[in-house]
Amino acid sequence: MLLPLALNVLALGASYALVALGFVLILNATGAVNFAQGDLVMIGGFVTVVLASYLPVPAIVLLPILLAAMAALGVLIALAAYFPLRNRPPEAVFISTIAVGIILQNAATVLFGPEPKAAPPLLGVGEFDFGGMFVSRQSLAVIAVATLLIGSLYTLFAHTQFGRRLRAVAQDREVAAAIGIPVDAMIAGTFAVGTALAGAAGLLLANTFFVTPTEGANYILKAYIAIVIGGWGSIPGAVAGALLIALFEVLYPSMPVLLPAVGTGSGLFSQNTSTIVLDVVILLTLVVRPQGLFGEAIRQRP
Amino acid sequence: MRQAVPWVLLACVLAYDGYAVATGSNYTLRVLSVAGIYAIAALGYQFIFGHAGALALSQGTFVGVGAYASAIAAVRWGLPFDAALPLSIGLPVLLAALIAIPVLRLQTHYFALATLIIGQIVQLAATDWIGLTGGANGIGGIPGLSLLGAPIRNGWPTLALVWSTAALGALIVWAVMRGRRGAASAIMRANPVAARAVGIDTARLRFVAFLLSAAFAGAAGSLYVHVIRVISPEVLSFPVMVTILTIAVIGSRLRIAGAIVGAVLVIEMPEWFRFMRDDYLLAYGVILLLVVVTIPEGVVAAAERLFRAGTAPAPPRAADRTFVFPGAALEIHDVRRRFGGVTALDGVSLSVRPGEVLGLIGPNGSGKTTLVNAITGIFPAQSGTIRFAGTDVSRLLPHRIARHGIARTFQTVALVDDMTALDNVALAAPGTWRTARGGAMVLLERMGVDEPMRRCGELPYGMRRRVEIARALASRPRLLLLDEPAAGLNETEQADLTRRLRELARSGLSMIVIEHNIPFLAPLADRMICLDDGRTIAQGRPAEVQADPRVIEAYLGQLAPAAP
Repeated sequence: MLLPLALNVLALGASYALVALGFVLILNATGAVNFAQGDLVMIGGFVTVVLASYLPVPAIVLLPILLAAMAALGVLIALAAYFPLRNRPPEAVFISTIAVGIILQNAATVLFGPEPKAAPPLLGVGEFDFGGMFVSRQSLAVIAVATLLIGSLYTLFAHTQFGRRLRAVAQDREVAAAIGIPVDAMIAGTFAVGTALAGAAGLLLANTFFVTPTEGANYILKAYIAIVIGGWGSIPGAVAGALLIALFEVLYPSMPVLLPAVGTGSGLFSQNTSTIVLDVVILLTLVVRPQGLFGEAIRQRP
Repeated sequence: MRQAVPWVLLACVLAYDGYAVATGSNYTLRVLSVAGIYAIAALGYQFIFGHAGALALSQGTFVGVGAYASAIAAVRWGLPFDAALPLSIGLPVLLAALIAIPVLRLQTHYFALATLIIGQIVQLAATDWIGLTGGANGIGGIPGLSLLGAPIRNGWPTLALVWSTAALGALIVWAVMRGRRGAASAIMRANPVAARAVGIDTARLRFVAFLLSAAFAGAAGSLYVHVIRVISPEVLSFPVMVTILTIAVIGSRLRIAGAIVGAVLVIEMPEWFRFMRDDYLLAYGVILLLVVVTIPEGVVAAAERLFRAGTAPAPPRAADRTFVFPGAALEIHDVRRRFGGVTALDGVSLSVRPGEVLGLIGPNGSGKTTLVNAITGIFPAQSGTIRFAGTDVSRLLPHRIARHGIARTFQTVALVDDMTALDNVALAAPGTWRTARGGAMVLLERMGVDEPMRRCGELPYGMRRRVEIARALASRPRLLLLDEPAAGLNETEQADLTRRLRELARSGLSMIVIEHNIPFLAPLADRMICLDDGRTIAQGRPAEVQADPRVIEAYLGQLAPAAP
C-alpha cells in the first residue's frame, strides 16, 4: 500500500518539478513570469503523441528528439515574446506569454482536436512485483528519467561555464553584460532549457494522465504555487515545492482509504475539495509567510 | 490635437455601433452588447490594474460572482435585473473587501497568484455547490433585461441600455480619477516610498481601487447574465479574466477610451476572422501577441503619442499669497536600527530647534540616510523615541508622519516622469485640486522652476531636483529633510540652491541637510553633526566639526586604513 503510494507521489512530484524548474530558471534570468509554461507541458505531450505515431518506439527513445524540438520552440518564444519587451515592466512579459499560451492552445486544438490523447509509456507497460507489492513500471521510469534530467541540470549549473554564466545573468544582468557575458544568448539559452523541461514533463505525464489542449492552465498554477512555497527564485525550493504539492494531491484523496476513521464524508475528499484545500493552504502560506516557506531567493526589484 | 484623439476613437466606436444597428442581425447586436459589458468590466479593471498598478487576476471572478448573484436572485426569488443590481454589485465588493485584508499588501507576483487562486476556489465552489448554483450545468431560463418593470427587448434596446451603462461607468471613472487621485496614483506607481513620504496613504488608495474594480465587475456580470440568459461556471473561468486583461492592455490601461476601444476590438476581432473557419482563434492569439509586442502601451496611448507635439496647456494662475513655514522642533533619543546582522543606527540622539538648519555629514554607510528613513517611518526605529513638535512619531506610518509636517527629498530624484512638474508638486499639497495647483505654482516660482507645464522626464537634472524640493514644500512642512540636495549640481546651481534654502530657513523652516559636499553645506548649516558607524561622533558649529580629529579620521579612514 505505502510503497506504490510513495512512488506515485515521487513520479507526479518529479514531473511537476520539471515544470517548476523551467519556470524558475526563466524567472531568474529575466525577472519575468513565463505564463505559457503550462501550455508548453501540453505541447510536449502532443509532440510526443505525434512523434510516436511516426516512430512506434518507447517514449524514452523519443525524449532526445522532443528535448531538441522544445528547445528550439523556447528560443522562438524568447524572440517573439521576451526580447521585444525586455525594457518594459515585468507585467508586459506576463501578458505576452499569456498570448503565447492562447496561440499554443488554439494551435493544439486545430491540429490535434479537443479529445484527450495518450502518449506511449517510457519503457513499456506492466508492473514489477516487490514481494507481493506491485509497482507500475511507468512510475519507476518516470522517477528515473526526471531524476536524470534534474541531475543533468544540476551538473550544467554547477560544473559548466554555460551554467556559471547563466547564474551570473540571473544574479545581475547589467553586471554580467559589463564583464563580457553575452546576456542575450544566455537568456535565449534559458528559454530553451526551460521550455525543454516543460516538454519533458509533458512526455512523462501524457501517458498516465493523457493530454488535452486546455490542460496548461492546471500546470502553470502548479508551477506557480511550487515556486511560491519553495521561495521565489529558489531552484532547490522549486523541486521541494513540487514534491509537496504532489504529496498533497496523492495523499489527500486517499485519506479515507489510509485512515478509515476519517470516513468517506460527502465529497469531503473529492478531487475538487482537494484542490480547494490546497488553494486555501497556499493562501494562508502567503498571508503568514509572504516570502515562501523557505525564504525568498531573489529580491523583487521595485 | 492630442486631447481630440480619444474623442475621435470613441466616435469611431459609436459609428460602428450605429452601423451595426442599421445593418446587423440580432446576433451582431448581441456580440456588440457583450463588447459593451466587457467595456464596463475593463473600465473597472483599470482602477486596480491601471491606476493602482497591481496585477490583479480576480476581475473575471468578480464578474462571475455578480452574474451568479443576479441569476440566483432572478430564478429563485423572481427579482428583475434592476432590483438585483445592488446585490450583484455589493457581493463582489464584499468579496473584494474580505480578500483585500490578507492579499492586497502582497508584492506583484504573489498578489497575482493569490487572486488567481481565489478565482479557482470560487469556480470550484460554484461547480460543487449544486443546490445553490446548479453545479456544472448552471442555471437557465433567466429573464432578459428590464427597467422599472418594463422589459427591454433584445436587439437595439438592449444594446442601448448596455452602452448607456458603459457611458455612465466611463463618467464615474473620469470623475474619480481626474485631479488629485489620478496624480496620487501616478506617484504611487512610480515610487510607492515617495508617495508615502508626501503623505499619501497608499494602502487605502489600493483598497479603494480594488473595491471600485469589483463594483464595476459586478454590474457587468449582472448585465451579462440577463443578456445571455444562462449561466454556468464557465463565466468564472480564467479565459474571462484573460479577455479583460487583454482589453485593458490593448486599449491602454490608463485611458477611459482605452477600455472602450479595447473591448470593441477584442470582442469583435474574432468575428472579423470568422472567414478563417477553425483557425480564427489562432489568428486572434497571433494578433494579440503582435499588439502586445509592438505597442505595449496600447492603441489609445500610442495614438495620442503620434499627436503629442503641440502647445502645452497654459499653467494655472499662481495663488496670490506667499508661504511661510513655521518650523517645529525634532528630538531624537537613542534611536537604534539593525538590518540583519548590520547595525545601521547604534543609539543616535540629536535635536533640531525650530528654524535651525542642521548639517548631517559622515562617510558612506555611516547611517545618514537610515536616520532620515527612521524619522520618516520608512524603516522605523526599532528602539528609542522620535518626538516632533511635542508628539511621539516613532511608531507612526510614513504617510501619517508626512501629515504631521515632516517632508523629505530623496538621494535619487523620485518624481513621476510622465507628469508635469506642476502636477508633481500639486499632488502633495492640501486643499482642493484647484487650490493645490495654484499653491504649487507659487512654490515652483519660489524654487526657480520656469517651465511648470513640462513633463518632469524632459526637464534637466538640476530642475528636477528643484521640483522635488517644491513638492516637499507643498505639504506645508515644519521640518524638511534633504538627502544630498547638491549632488550632481554644478557650482552656479549649487550657489542658487544655497540662496533659496537660506531664504526658506529665514522664514522659519527647520531643516536637516545630508551632504558630502562640505563647501556647500558649511555656509548653509547653523550646526553640524557627524555620524560614523551609526553613532554621533561630533557635533557643533560647522568649523568646529570640520576641524574635529575624529571627523577627519572617520573620513580619512575610508581612504587609507590606519596602520596598526
